[in-house]
Amino acid sequence: MAVEDPADRSAGGATPGTRLNREVFAGLFLIVSAAVGYFGTLPLDAGSMSGVGPGLLPKAVSLGLAAFGVYLMVIGLLGNHERIDGFSLRGTIFILGAILAFAATVRPLGLLVAGPLAMLISSMADPDTRPLEIVIFTAFMTAGCYLLFKVVLHLPIPLLPPLLGY
Amino acid sequence: MWDLISNLQLGLSVAGSLKNAGLCFLGCLIGTLIGVLPGVGPIATIAMLLPLTFGLDPVGALIMLAGIYYGAQYGGSTTAILVNIPGEATAVVTVLDGHQMAKQGRAGIALGIAAIGSFIAGTIATVIIAAAAKPLTTLALMFGPADYFALMVLGLMFAVVLARGSVPKAIAMILLGILLSVVGTDIETGEERLTFGWMEVADGIDFAVIAMGMFGFAEILRNLENKEARAVVSGEIGRLLPNMADLKVSLAPILRGTGIGSLLGFLPGNGAVLGPFASYSVEKKIAADPSRFGQGAIEGVAGPESANNAGAQTAFIPLLTLGIPPNAVMALMIGAMTIHGIVPGPQIITKQPELFWGMIASMWIGNLMLLIINLPLIGIWVKLLQVPYRLMFPAIIIFCCIGIYSINNSPTEVVLTAAFALFGYTLIKLGFEAAPLLLGFVLGKLMEEKLRQAMVISRGSLWTFMERPVSLTLLVLTLVILVVSALPAISKRRETVFTE
Repeated sequence: MAVEDPADRSAGGATPGTRLNREVFAGLFLIVSAAVGYFGTLPLDAGSMSGVGPGLLPKAVSLGLAAFGVYLMVIGLLGNHERIDGFSLRGTIFILGAILAFAATVRPLGLLVAGPLAMLISSMADPDTRPLEIVIFTAFMTAGCYLLFKVVLHLPIPLLPPLLGY
Repeated sequence: MWDLISNLQLGLSVAGSLKNAGLCFLGCLIGTLIGVLPGVGPIATIAMLLPLTFGLDPVGALIMLAGIYYGAQYGGSTTAILVNIPGEATAVVTVLDGHQMAKQGRAGIALGIAAIGSFIAGTIATVIIAAAAKPLTTLALMFGPADYFALMVLGLMFAVVLARGSVPKAIAMILLGILLSVVGTDIETGEERLTFGWMEVADGIDFAVIAMGMFGFAEILRNLENKEARAVVSGEIGRLLPNMADLKVSLAPILRGTGIGSLLGFLPGNGAVLGPFASYSVEKKIAADPSRFGQGAIEGVAGPESANNAGAQTAFIPLLTLGIPPNAVMALMIGAMTIHGIVPGPQIITKQPELFWGMIASMWIGNLMLLIINLPLIGIWVKLLQVPYRLMFPAIIIFCCIGIYSINNSPTEVVLTAAFALFGYTLIKLGFEAAPLLLGFVLGKLMEEKLRQAMVISRGSLWTFMERPVSLTLLVLTLVILVVSALPAISKRRETVFTE
């Protein structure tokens, strides 16, 4: 849980900070979010206090976000804070890839293809995965999901490619 | 007093009949079984199982649905403790200490205290509902839009207190959550907001999409790179039942949680969500050593879990008395009532007393059954922990994918969940907490609606928040909480300055 140290506690830590530390990026992230929120709702009418329009709340909230973003950036640039640690590329690619593969295949190919596909792709995110074990486990899980979601709950998920008539 | 006893007697005679008690048991069992699955929260569970009740009479159908709701609610807490995924917004707090307890090999005790706390809370809440249904209705009727708004501000302030780490970052996350909640079509004007022309989000972003992406998938990403966190999931399970010392420590938090949860739960405006947050903040504030919270403090499970269950029950009050659904689950219950030809509203208590009191009595019976179902079955849930993480996370992936897809049969929502996984992972890297964002998201839409109504009523005068005693009290309370929570932060900062 070391990643989660709040900003004020990491100040003056053992590792010397950098100007481009975590707080600067956090501030930047908020400012970008605020910009999306503000400019995305720019054409919407804010209305008046007695007739609040659809644009008032998003714009007000975005301005607040921007203020906190600037605050975090200033704090980050002035003090020593921990560096941002890099994203795990392997995990990100295979976990997100598995979810996207499921989304792409569930309609055209059905649950019995999309489910195991997602499981096998995601399992590659972990170097500890054992090939034989995960294949057997995937088969069991797929059968279990079929029984639960199709046989017991009758969810309208396609089971196999519609071309096969299921 | 005699009224109360005869009302409860009537209720028990309705709910205690063999058929209705059986339906209640079946509902609790199915609800727990489905609700314990990651990605299938109470809302999805109830929506999925709604057709099962079409063949039943109205009383039996509502009793069974209520049973499913309690079961799913409890299942959500179980997944919060075991797999760090809050099944529903009310279980978000349980994740904090419940999952830490699981990591320390005390998963069994966390589940046990959750079940026992829920039962005690359920029993007390049933009596509270029965005794206070009428007076509480008059009180709730006094709440204007300004008061609702103030109440939600108070709730969000609790979320700030709750977050570990810096207060500015927590407030920023709430604002981001509110911003996410406006995505979709504006209810009043019909104008699309922040959809950028993308039709799939025209109805707004589903709560489950954000919860799954940020708590489920992003957590997998974090765990995969953090060997330490991963090892603990396959670690020791520990005792299944709490010992006397655990019970002694937990009793007061359970009772406080029940009180807080009951009080917040009955207020229209999703008060049930606030209960666990409020209870957690209270326990953390009055604890001799607040730093234990977030590190596996049993009070951090006992209090919020009791508040959760008490609030889940008293949330029926606005539904049964005013016909207002305080949350999405209750909105589904309204749908079920309408299907069975019952018009929700104040007339139920007088026109259909057997339905009103039968449902209330079934709440206690349902809690008893949950205890019977859950304590022996805890072993099964805990066994899930023995599955190594390398098998656990692909299983979570397939369940969540199916769960998300089946909410609206939409592959797009699965893609959106992946996007929120990346979003949540980024937030983790930047040192932000996801819990305040989720609360901001849940309350954002309602806050805007109440603000608009309050401004229309007061003709644009912000003084309305100061002039109304209820909203003034709530806002003063908010300020007090902000100041109190700021104090330790100030002293902490001073401490670091001094040591330097």
